[in-house]
Amino acid sequence: MSYVLQYGQVWPYLPRLLEGALLSIQIAVLAFSGGLLIGTACAAVKSFGPRWAVAAVGVYVTFFVNTPQLVQIYFLYFVLPDSGILLSSYNAVLLGMTLNAGAYLTEIQRAGFESSRRSEIEAAEVLGFSRLQQIRYVILPHVARVLFPPLSNHFIIMTLGTSMASVFGVEELTGEALNVNALTFRSVEVFTITAGIYVVLTLVASTLLALFGRYAFRVRTRAA
Amino acid sequence: MLKKLALAGLVALTAFVATVAPAAARTLDDVISSGVIRVGVNPTLPPLGKFDEKNQIVGFDVDFATEIAKMLGVKLEVVQVGSPDRIPFVASGKIDVVMGAMTRNPERAKVIDFTVPAHTEVLGILTTEDKSFKDWKEMNSPDVTFVQVRGSTPVKFIEDNLPNAKVTLLDNYPDAVRALAQGRGTAMIDVMDFMQEHMDRHKSTKWKIVETPVDIYYCSLGVAKNSTGLKDWLNVAIFEMHRRGKTDELWKKWFGMDMIAPVKVTPYF
Repeated sequence: MSYVLQYGQVWPYLPRLLEGALLSIQIAVLAFSGGLLIGTACAAVKSFGPRWAVAAVGVYVTFFVNTPQLVQIYFLYFVLPDSGILLSSYNAVLLGMTLNAGAYLTEIQRAGFESSRRSEIEAAEVLGFSRLQQIRYVILPHVARVLFPPLSNHFIIMTLGTSMASVFGVEELTGEALNVNALTFRSVEVFTITAGIYVVLTLVASTLLALFGRYAFRVRTRAA
Repeated sequence: MLKKLALAGLVALTAFVATVAPAAARTLDDVISSGVIRVGVNPTLPPLGKFDEKNQIVGFDVDFATEIAKMLGVKLEVVQVGSPDRIPFVASGKIDVVMGAMTRNPERAKVIDFTVPAHTEVLGILTTEDKSFKDWKEMNSPDVTFVQVRGSTPVKFIEDNLPNAKVTLLDNYPDAVRALAQGRGTAMIDVMDFMQEHMDRHKSTKWKIVETPVDIYYCSLGVAKNSTGLKDWLNVAIFEMHRRGKTDELWKKWFGMDMIAPVKVTPYF
């Protein structure tokens, strides 16, 4: 005898799963946007900032890149309350993922900053551009083209990474999948459907990102 | 390009589904001839199951399973399971028997088979002294947030009976009780027999157990639907455990008290 697949038992719960998927996307977009801001600022500091600020950014990046995201959020959720800071499930996950993304995106963007041609920056200096103008008009357009593919890759990784939010009581796609599994006990069916939703999410996201990159920054990609 | 991508995705998904091989559960004969019975125990439910200083799983469930294995004349292999994954483990044949407060209910019985009850659980309310609730029926309000363990039975109970209350789901009992101690919720509905050890870890919290019992659950051993003969043999073995007073003896050893609502021994099952 073998296990009989019963997808019919799971389909009625599809709206719950899709609701969870929406929350997954929401967390990923917010955390990625926040991370992009932190990353850009920190990368600028690392390239042009005073020595003490470079050191501070170094400590931040080293800490967040070398510890697991799960442990970081665990710290925010369960350890901070002992010093009087009580973050809700959603806020703890969002803050943790943003700080984590910020650290990775700092590293990615710094590589982009350094890839700007020396001669272009010198030309901008000769033309009397201030440091901020150099970043805005010379470095960032350059960085956007070079870094668009690795940045969109990181967004996809983050979308899939939202699955750990369920550990902290956030009912995103994986959380809802576990709940539906607990109601139906149809594990194979539930997680096959869930995997399918994740595939659709990331395919749609990467296609949209590739199109956006092509028109906004003239990035040449193979549409993925 | 898009078409190609969609196709690739579809192929990957189909391959994934196809590789999920239907796992076969072992029958009673398979277990006897292999000389080992694999029993799933949840180590986050002290004193049913917990890790000792040597990182071995010990507890009531382990002792109970040891007696069962002795009766069958095979060796015991304890496998760690958690609340969300214990039923998939047994349904897919990764383990022969699942323990860990397996409350029998019609939903679960569609997927796995249950033996006669091994013990009971009395469902109650864990909260803190600053809360004024006297009965669970007062708790159907949006001001109430329950902190519960994902995949455990009381989640469904709350959904059905207290639909207005909010629920935060965490992965295991230590996390859920810690969240409650940190003020992340109002209360937790779960089995009070198991709460003492968790409460002891948060000494500064003024805990309160609401006396009115919410419900009584009957907990059995769970086996796969196609594990021919295993359930029938276990029924006889468990009946003997109860009749010889072995169950009570083990319960007293681990819980330090008699079972709140003992299973009545009956020769008919």
